[in-house]
Formats: sequence, structure tokens, C-alpha cells
Amino acid sequence: MASLASVGQPAGHVEGPSKVTGQARYTADIRLPGLLYGKCLRSPFPHARIVSIDTSQAKALAGVHAVITGAELPDRRIGRFFLDKPVLARDVVRFVGEKVVAVAAESMDIAEEALTRIAVEYEALPAVFDPVEAMQEDAPRVHADTSTYTHPPVPDFVHPGDDRLYPDIPNVVSQVFYTHGDIEAGFAQAAREFTHTFTIPPVHQGYIEPHASVVQIEPDGKVNLWISNKTPFVARAQFAAALGVAEDRVCVNTAPIGGDFGGKGSLMDGVVCYHLAAAAGRPVKMVMSYTEELLAGNPRHPAVITLRTGVDANGRIVARKARLVFSCGAYSAFTPLHTVHGSVHAAGPYRMPNVEIEVFRVYTNTVPAGHMRAPGAPQIVFGVESHMDLIAQELGLDPLEFRLRNTLIEGDAAPLGEKWKKIRCKETLEAAAKEAKWGAEKTANRGRGIGMYDREPGAFGPSSATLSIAADATLTLMTGAADTGTGSYTILQQVVAEELQVPLESVRVVQGSTDSAPWEVGAGGSRLTHMAGQATLAAVQRLKEGLTAFAARHMETPSEQVAYRAGEFVNTNGQHLALPTLMAALAGREELPLRYTGEYVAEDPMDVTSFCAQIAEVEVDPATGQVTLQKLTTAHDVGTVLNPLTHQGQVEGGAIQGVGHALTEHLIVQDGAVTNVHLGDYKLPTSMDIPELKTVLVESDAGPAPYAGKAIGEHSNVAVPAAVANAVFDAVGVRLMDLPVTAEKVYTALREKTARSRTMRRGNS
Amino acid sequence: MIAFEYVEPESLEEVLALLEQHGEDAKVLAGGTGLINLMKQRLVQPAYLIGLRQLARSPELAEIRPNGGLTIGALCSHRTIETSALIQHRLPLLATTFRHVASVRIRTAATLGGSLAHADPNQDPPPALLVLDARIRIQSRHGAREIELGDFFVDYYETALEPEELITTVVIPPQPADTGTAFLKFLPQTHDDYATIAVAALVSLDGDTIAQARIALGAAAATPLRARAVETALQGQAPTPQVIHAAAALVAEEVDPLADFRGSVEYKRDMAVVFTQRAIEQAVTHARGASGNV
Amino acid sequence: MKSIQLRVNGQAVERDVADNTLLIDFLRNGLDLTGTKEGCSVGVCGACTVLLDGQPVSSCLTLAVTADGCEVTTIEGLTEGDRLHPLQKAFIDYGGFQCGICTPGQIMSAKALLDENPHPSKDEIQSWMMGNLCRCTGYYKIIESIQAVADGKVST
Repeated sequence: MASLASVGQPAGHVEGPSKVTGQARYTADIRLPGLLYGKCLRSPFPHARIVSIDTSQAKALAGVHAVITGAELPDRRIGRFFLDKPVLARDVVRFVGEKVVAVAAESMDIAEEALTRIAVEYEALPAVFDPVEAMQEDAPRVHADTSTYTHPPVPDFVHPGDDRLYPDIPNVVSQVFYTHGDIEAGFAQAAREFTHTFTIPPVHQGYIEPHASVVQIEPDGKVNLWISNKTPFVARAQFAAALGVAEDRVCVNTAPIGGDFGGKGSLMDGVVCYHLAAAAGRPVKMVMSYTEELLAGNPRHPAVITLRTGVDANGRIVARKARLVFSCGAYSAFTPLHTVHGSVHAAGPYRMPNVEIEVFRVYTNTVPAGHMRAPGAPQIVFGVESHMDLIAQELGLDPLEFRLRNTLIEGDAAPLGEKWKKIRCKETLEAAAKEAKWGAEKTANRGRGIGMYDREPGAFGPSSATLSIAADATLTLMTGAADTGTGSYTILQQVVAEELQVPLESVRVVQGSTDSAPWEVGAGGSRLTHMAGQATLAAVQRLKEGLTAFAARHMETPSEQVAYRAGEFVNTNGQHLALPTLMAALAGREELPLRYTGEYVAEDPMDVTSFCAQIAEVEVDPATGQVTLQKLTTAHDVGTVLNPLTHQGQVEGGAIQGVGHALTEHLIVQDGAVTNVHLGDYKLPTSMDIPELKTVLVESDAGPAPYAGKAIGEHSNVAVPAAVANAVFDAVGVRLMDLPVTAEKVYTALREKTARSRTMRRGNS
Repeated sequence: MIAFEYVEPESLEEVLALLEQHGEDAKVLAGGTGLINLMKQRLVQPAYLIGLRQLARSPELAEIRPNGGLTIGALCSHRTIETSALIQHRLPLLATTFRHVASVRIRTAATLGGSLAHADPNQDPPPALLVLDARIRIQSRHGAREIELGDFFVDYYETALEPEELITTVVIPPQPADTGTAFLKFLPQTHDDYATIAVAALVSLDGDTIAQARIALGAAAATPLRARAVETALQGQAPTPQVIHAAAALVAEEVDPLADFRGSVEYKRDMAVVFTQRAIEQAVTHARGASGNV
Repeated sequence: MKSIQLRVNGQAVERDVADNTLLIDFLRNGLDLTGTKEGCSVGVCGACTVLLDGQPVSSCLTLAVTADGCEVTTIEGLTEGDRLHPLQKAFIDYGGFQCGICTPGQIMSAKALLDENPHPSKDEIQSWMMGNLCRCTGYYKIIESIQAVADGKVST
């Protein structure tokens, strides 16, 4: 696409100046006259009945303006899809960290002091923490009665199956099947079968901005909300439902999001913040501490993944049966729709005629789970790609060779039957193998491992954007999507500049509140470049058409004889009319700025996906088990890269999240409570913990975004843990079936392996 | 944050008088990186906080001075010690060790005296100071005393410091000739973490035999500790791989690790052996090439 | 309550603060300098990094009363009028931030580095910046941004 001027060029973030100067106001930075600070007392029990709450001492403290308990609030449960979570616990607490009492005070110090003066008497109830145990008949029930909980039906865009919400299995929220082919017939063809089970602990998104909410209630009852939520319009709907008011009585105001990675899609403290503001008669701000984040945020689902695979005599996969058990914690309110979406990846990007995936989402007395960068996929791909290596090892095949025999190629149907065009799976894997020098000689204790993944560009929900042009011809694009930092505003700026053939810096991009912007789902599911990009493209087309009509009138030429070209209109007589001249002429005659809104809804389903192949190279210290990730190669099947700078930023940032997931990160849960509750103990990678990173882009022009772009945001984080675990096996011959790959686990496994081989040698002698 | 009264005396005498007056109700604030965290978590709730900022002008408390060995003022920041030309020249072990502590930002604020008084057993400086036979000078209104650093650490976050006392300086005696040192911090997670196990070693050679060995560990028990059995096993021996291996193995009986997010008791015990061996090997190598520096 | 006098971004400031007020809260709530961010609150993440007499400190672990008599520099103090500091420009041009929440802290730490060592190696940058967590970028472009300034590639 050599003709493109703005698209395809590296462009720094359009919102950059506000962020690097400290001027950008995030939710926690909002200051209002009379602002109070809210804080919650949280449950120390994983499951208990609330016997009594005494708040009198807290209420008596000077500077305290409101103290509220669940019993005082309307009995209305909240959620994103499943409405099963009380704003504050009522009668029963179901996880350590559940909010029980909320306080608003003149300062955060007073609010915290007030919490120490609240007495709650609990009566402990039996609790269950493991999702597999929770499904047993004798397991304690996390919710005694779910019959009053509401939820939407399973949408028809999922693969049809025998889906059940709240089936008759203890603690199970949903049981969903994805099937294709004939699973029994498939296994009947298999020469060999392999079954493995993998365990993945919960991890936190690790954004540096803790959740924050600010609520201000106007005298007429209209509610102004600022919230670190990446989907303001969706948040408005959920928030209005939680309050029992019409959506237009709530305005979600603009604020950049200080890191999302899936975690900023819930209401978190928003509703309790409202009730505090209502009770105190003053605006209230709530900012979670990072300890609260780690204890009671909305982490990635822990999972137990069992995979059974049949392989024929030629090393080709003929059947795959997957049983995936996800713990959603104590509430399902802010977890993905009906199940954990990543479940569809249990077959991997492989040719596989017969597939059955059974997914359970299960209540446990642990912190409720939420969304995180490709929900479900890293857990499942850790299982799938480790399983692939285990099978290759049993078959005596090189892991690369085994994958190449089974990867999808052009013309194949995907395991669940999707028909994709321009399948670049094999090419992506081969590109990764070449860059990583797969097969090249290695020194002792070095190993390489592969992980693969694919993900379709996001396509859900409508998007819209409004492009306006002012009297001085300045262009402003207004979007309702919150800025999570991925660079989507810059992509939209590039689209406008490209289409109007004007310099990039002449286009402003602003976020509108839910009162001012057109309806937009917002960030999530790798959708903005595609969806908001197309909506922006539509807005530009409308603006061009509208202005062309004005120009034609001004030039007294039929509009079909007027063309727009790089900031001016030209008619067939060779007359030129510059945009500023036209706009000046319209001043006083038209209501300026002129506004043009574009909308977009995607065709369903997507006919392309994007493949990703990653190869980790590790060195293991056999004396300690320490794993050092020396090099990570990440190869991506991409469409047109609209902004190489921000595209690469997504690749790099995702890859290092994958490194954290692989090697250090996990919420350590003991007796239901997260115990590593600050960033000194929950270890995110630092600038000293990054490997040499090689990125390979395998480009094609098949994406649904403007200029044939695809998505990149949820790719590079997913397969890293599997690649690292496979590399560790390659290096020292030990296989970890659970994450993270810690030095101690590798050390222990090495010792067991040595002990086994000694026993075998003795047995042989 | 809890409420307290902050006072900032101009002199050491005033600080000591306030400590005497308030006893258990007061805490002294130096860099604050440990204490403020504990106060924010309400684990420590002093009514009075005595800021030592004005004492930074006191040479005794704020300077590094040659004195046969060296004396280091308790108010020296980690960063000051790490970057001091005198330390880098005379005691490179200390420069290396302090460079391993947390981040530059924390090292800029955190002081030597503050970190010793904090007595978190996972800290890096104590093992290095222990192998240098450091002594610690403590003062109260009633006088000064000097104790061995090994006697200063009493238990988990507990020291021999009385409520009315203040650490003023750390005294490092001259080190033996032909000495090599090493400090190893095992960081299997991220580079900004506390050690899973930390080992400092000092070995001085007399020709082909070990004249003296001092080994100390951090993150290995409720307090930093000297590995006396290992030291004894090395003394007078030629530093062969077999000798070092056998001596290092003895550390397993000396450590008493606490299980935490960085490892189980068993793992830390095994790693104490591995890193003790490595630290001795490195110290021996350094001793062989020693130019008299430690 | 204590009266403190200090200079913040070159401006003389005199205020009464509670003894237990943290420097971060004094800057954000007292002076409306909300560019300094609070992340972990325990001195690990570095989002709250400011310069105290030129040295980087965690403002979440520093009492405001101990800044009495000092010079405090925050992210807001780096721009001269509309002109960005070279580090600020480099972070935009080289993609050194995404969501931006850690960015003020990153830039303040980087400034402290370059003030002390104007031409650091890549290793020195990585090691110095270890105390500033970033979840978006994976650090590569932060390191490139700082390197670009050190190499004199950025003009404002």
C-alpha cells in the first residue's frame, strides 16, 4: 500500500503530550468541591454468615459522613451479564475481601480509622476453594439459591451445543459444549491416545492504576460518574440498572485508563461509591489500594484443564476432547458472558476433524474472577501446547515437526468448523522457527520451546464516531471509547488524516462522555482498530459527502463534478476551493462545527484470524532450577500494520506479560485468601527481567479493519508460558504441568528425575 | 496513615532525650522506606516520630571515615555507601552488596542504621557486614556501647536496641591480608525482589591454605547468621573443590529458613548449600588475585 | 500540624500540613499536582517518583514535613512553557508509554539518571530503571526513549 501517507507510518500517541507532562487526569486525579473519600471494610472470612454489624463507633468519629451496610441498600444484585453480586454483602460473605461496610469521610485517613472502629460478628461456614472439589455432591454450596439470579440467554453467536446455565451440578454456573465432527468416531480412528491435566493459578492484570470511582449527584438527581472503566457506555447501562434508574440519568465522564488488560471492565466500587455519595449528600471518591486490588480485584480465572487427544499412525491428530474447569470465584458478575471465551482454543490452530470441548464455570469461595487479556486463552494454551510437546515426545517426533504435520493450511476448516481465508499458520510457525534458529546446536542446559495461538479480530457490538469540522477548518474526532493506552486514538487519527489527505497533527481526537459521544462499546476483545476504525472511516465518508455538497453549492457546480483532494475541492472546470475558505463561507449560514457520525456493525462471523507462533529459549541452572529466558521469538500473522510504533508496543508489552505469567506471577491463595497482597510479593517483571525479543511479522492483506488491518492486542501474551515450559523440558528434561515455572518447581522436578533414574539404574543392575 | 506527632530535633542530645522521654511510644525516622510502610499497614503505631534529618550535618552520623578500618555513619544512605569511592576502594564487597538492594530510588532514601534497626532477615547488607566482623555503636543518654553485629540481631524483626537507644555508627575493623570476598543474592523471581537466599563470604589465604573464612547468610533464618561450622571446616584447609563442597554442605544444619513466597524451608536450605559453595569459590578466586582489598 | 516551606518546581511554597501527610498526598491534594501517581503505595512500582533535592524518592513513603526546606521536582516541572523536556518528547516519539500511568515516574527516574550520568549504557539504563514498573510496554521502548535522549537524538 505505497500510496498511504499517514497509515503505515510510525506515529507517537496523539494523547502523548498530556500523558508525559502529567496533565492527563485519570479517575483518581478528579477533584471536586466537597469531595469525600470512601473506603470499605472487607470480609476476613472465605464463607461466613454475618451475625451482627456495629457501626456506631465509626459513625461517631469526627469527619465521618456516611457509614452504610448491605442491609440498608436495595436488594438488587449487580453484574456485567450474570447479576449475582450484592453491592455490599448481605447476610453472607463468600470470599476474603468481600465488601461488608462502606464509609465516606473527610479524608482517607479518617475513613481508614473509621473502619478500625466497626465491629462485625461472623459465624464461619464451610467453604470450598478448588473448582473440581466444588463440583462434588458433598461440597459446600457457595450460593444456597441461585434461582433469583438473572442473566441473559446464551447468545447465538457461540457454537451451538448443549449449553446449560446453573445446571444441576453443585456450584456450577455454566456448562457449555463446543463440538464439531464425531468425537467417538474420531477416537476410533486413533492409533494412540494421550491424556494430560494442567493446573493454572489466578493472576492479576497488573495494571499500575488501581480501580477508582468518583460519584457526584446533581441537585436534580442526575449522577456524574468517573470510573476507571474502559467501556463507558456499557458501564452506564450496568450502573443505571444497579441504581434502578434510566440510563440518561447517568453520565459517565471521560478519563484515561491507567492500564486495562481486560481488568477494567467492571463497576468495581462504582455502585457503593454512589450509595455513599447519596447517603453523605456530597461527592465521593474511592480508590482501591493495591492490596485491595490483589486481594479482591478481578483476576484471571484459575483453571484445571484436561486434554485427551487421539493421533493416527502418521502423527496426525484425529480427535480432541477437552474438559475445562474454571473457577469464577464467589461471584460470576464480572466474568465473561456465559463461559470463558478462550475455551474455543482447546483445539489449537490445528487440523482436527473431531472435537468436543466441555467447559465448566464454577463458584468457589475465592476472589471473583474477571477478564484478562484474551480471557481463558493463556490457561488453555498452556495446556494445549504443553500437551502437543508431550505427545510429540511420546511419538518420538520433533515438536516443530509434529506441529507442522498438524497446523492448519489454506483451505482447511478450523477445528470448530470456522472457514477462514488466508490461513498463514504454517508460514508463521516456520518464520518463528527460522528466526529462533530452531534445530541449531545448543549448549548444555539450554532449550527451546514452541507455543502457538490464534485469535480473530474483535468484531462485537456497534461502534460509532463523530467527526466535526469547525469554522477554522480544524478537525476533531470524538469517540466514546475510553483510552486504555493501546494507541487506538492514534489509529483513528491516522484514518481521518489518511482519508482527508491532511497532516496527522491537524486532526484532534477527543473522548466524549456518554452524554456527548455517540454510542460505542469501547475497548475490549481486540476490537477498536477494526470497529472504531471502520466507524471513523464511515464518519469521514459522510463528512466528505456533506462538504462536497456545500462546496458544489459554493462553486455553483453540480456535486458530481466536484472532487475532494488533499484539503481542497476541485471541480471539473479546474476551480479550487480550500477547506478553510469553504468553512469561512459557511460561517453564519450553517451551524458550526459541522458534525458527521459514522456507525459500524461487523458482519458475523469473521472470515479471518491471526496466527501467532512463539519460541522461547531458556537456560536452566540445574543446581538451583533457575530458569533464565534468554531469547523470545514472537511471530505474528498480521494484516496491514496501521501504526508500526504502537503495533510493536502491543507485541512487546504483551510478550512481557506472558513472561510474567510464565515465570513469576501467581496469586497465592491459602484457605481461600490471596496472601501475596502487595507488589513486593506479587512479582511483575522489571526492566531487568526482559529477554532478547525478536519479532517477526508475516503480513497479508486480509483484515477487517480499515486498510485490511487485523488485531494485535491479545496475541503475544498468550503462548509464552507454554513456550517457556516446553523450553525447560528441552533444556533439562523436566515437565511442569502447572504455572508459573518457578525455580523451586524445576529444582524439585530435577531431583525427582535424578532419583527415578537412580532407581531405574539399580533396577537394571 | 495513622496519626502521630513529628518532631525534628537539631542535635543528637535532643534525639536521645526524646527517646528517653517517650520510650516505646516513639520511633526514629531516617529514610522511612521500612518504617513508613509498617506505619501505613498499622503494624507500628508510634505516638511520636523523631526525624533524624537535622543530624545529617553530624560527621559522626553521616560520614564514611577511614579509621584503621572504616566507620560508616548510621545516616549514610545505601546509595552513598554504594557510590563512595572510599568504600569501592577499601571494601568493594560493601559497594557490591548495597548495589543489590531494591532500586536506586529506595537506596537513595534508605539508611544503613535504619535498615539494621528494621532487622528484616531478608535484607542484603547484614550478611556482608557480618563477614567483615562489623561492630555497631549504639548511644543513649546514658552513654555509648559497641556490640558485635552478630549479637545485635535477636529475632525476626527484633534487635538488641533498647527503646531509648540510637545506632550511631557501624565500625568495620581492618581485614586480614590476602583476602577475597563475594556476595551472592539468589533471585529466581524478578530482579527487584528480596533474596531467596543471600550469602556473603570472606576468605583469607596463607599461601595455599585458608587462614580465615567468614561466611554469613541472609534470608536463611529469623535473623541474619554466621555459618560458624562452615568457617571452622574451611580453616587451615587447602581450598580444594572437595573441601569447599564438604564445608558448604554443613550450612544446611546452620540455617533455619522461614517458608515464604520465595521458597519452602527445604528449598531455601538446599539453596543455602549451593550458594554458600559458590560464594566460597568466588571469594577464594578473589583472594588468589587479591591486591589487599576486601 | 506543621508549617513547611519548600520549593516545588521552582516556585516557593509555604503551607501548613498535618504531621502524617505523605508527600504524594501533599502534592496531589494540597497543590493539585496530580501528575504524580500512586500505584503500589509500598515503594515498589515507582509511579510516585519525584525528585527531592535532585534525588529520586518514593513520594508515597516520604512525609511532607521532611520536604521542609527542600526543592521538589515533579513531572509538571519539566516543561518550560509549552516546550517539552527531551525525555518527554522521546517518550512520545519512541513509544515509551502506553496508558501513561507510570510515565511521570518513569520520566522522573530517567531524569535523575541522566542528571547523574548523561551518557548511560543500555545496561545502566535497564539497571537504574528497575525500580519503575510498567505493565504496558515491556520496557523495550522505555529504554530506547532514554537511550535516544542520552545519544542526543532528541531535540525539542
